Amino acid sequence: MRIAIKMGGDLLKGESLNTPLLEDLKSVAKEHSIIIVHGGGDLVTEMAKRLGKEQVFVISPEGFKSRFTDRETADIYAMVMAGEISTKIVGTLQSFGINAVGLSGFDGGLLRAERKKRLVVVGDQGRKMAIDGGYTGKIVSVNGRLLEALMKEGYTPVVSPLAMGLENEPLNVDGDRTTAAVAAAVKTDVILYLTDVSGVLKDGKVIGKISALDVEGLLKEIGPGMSTKIHAAVEGIRGGVGKAIITSGLTERPLTGALEGRCGTVISL
Amino acid sequence: MKLKCPECDGDIEVKEVIEGEIISCKDCGAELEASKDKNGNFELKVAESEGEDWGE
Repeated sequence: MRIAIKMGGDLLKGESLNTPLLEDLKSVAKEHSIIIVHGGGDLVTEMAKRLGKEQVFVISPEGFKSRFTDRETADIYAMVMAGEISTKIVGTLQSFGINAVGLSGFDGGLLRAERKKRLVVVGDQGRKMAIDGGYTGKIVSVNGRLLEALMKEGYTPVVSPLAMGLENEPLNVDGDRTTAAVAAAVKTDVILYLTDVSGVLKDGKVIGKISALDVEGLLKEIGPGMSTKIHAAVEGIRGGVGKAIITSGLTERPLTGALEGRCGTVISL
Repeated sequence: MKLKCPECDGDIEVKEVIEGEIISCKDCGAELEASKDKNGNFELKVAESEGEDWGE
């Protein structure tokens, strides 16, 4: 089986990664081909602050809060994502006997993206304003052959959500959607979105199953973070992925539990 | 101030507008961005906006 795993930023904070997760990863990697995509937006914000670059956040009319990525921020973003976070994950996986390879979207032309021209945000006095899209992008192609070649040789690709723009500029791309694009490119059987909550919650309870054909109504009832994951999961499934599971990465054997259907929220056709 | 909708050619009356502001046409529902022409006068163009995926 092929599995794409998104490791959310909440799992990456602190000196080391969650040991039960790593033990489970090692066990699953023995039997299956794995691709990991990581997040880590909060770590970008921390580093930018240390470098004296205050981050600007904007809010969409639908209430989503997002970083405004200007060129300087894009450089810091690349430094943290493809440097600090990627080496931390790859080093940890290597120490657990998993032969991981760190890749940003630049390596082998893995992720190509188009810059967003305009973003609509809520400005002063609640006015809707169009602003420059900055250095954020929408993925237009994934070099699946590179991932196939690495997996065939027994490597575990670790992909940073940093894409190469059409003018070779660094672009900030969403990690959840990067996972979906990567998974669709190599037709994984499943995407596991590992986060810090047990799944998609409604009235305090985990929803066991969501149909990818009928998510619009649900999206109005859940928070923005989960909404992005569900959108991404649906994109992955439309691209040929079997199913997606949103689950906590902070439990004992989180991957095995989700793959055996014992926890998390499953999104499928 | 009276502006023209580039989609349906309808009139749009606004009290004040700032560059980059998004205005909806009441007639056709188009989302329009206020920008300035060469002479510094406001005009409306169809807003180019992207979905919610703005990166990490």
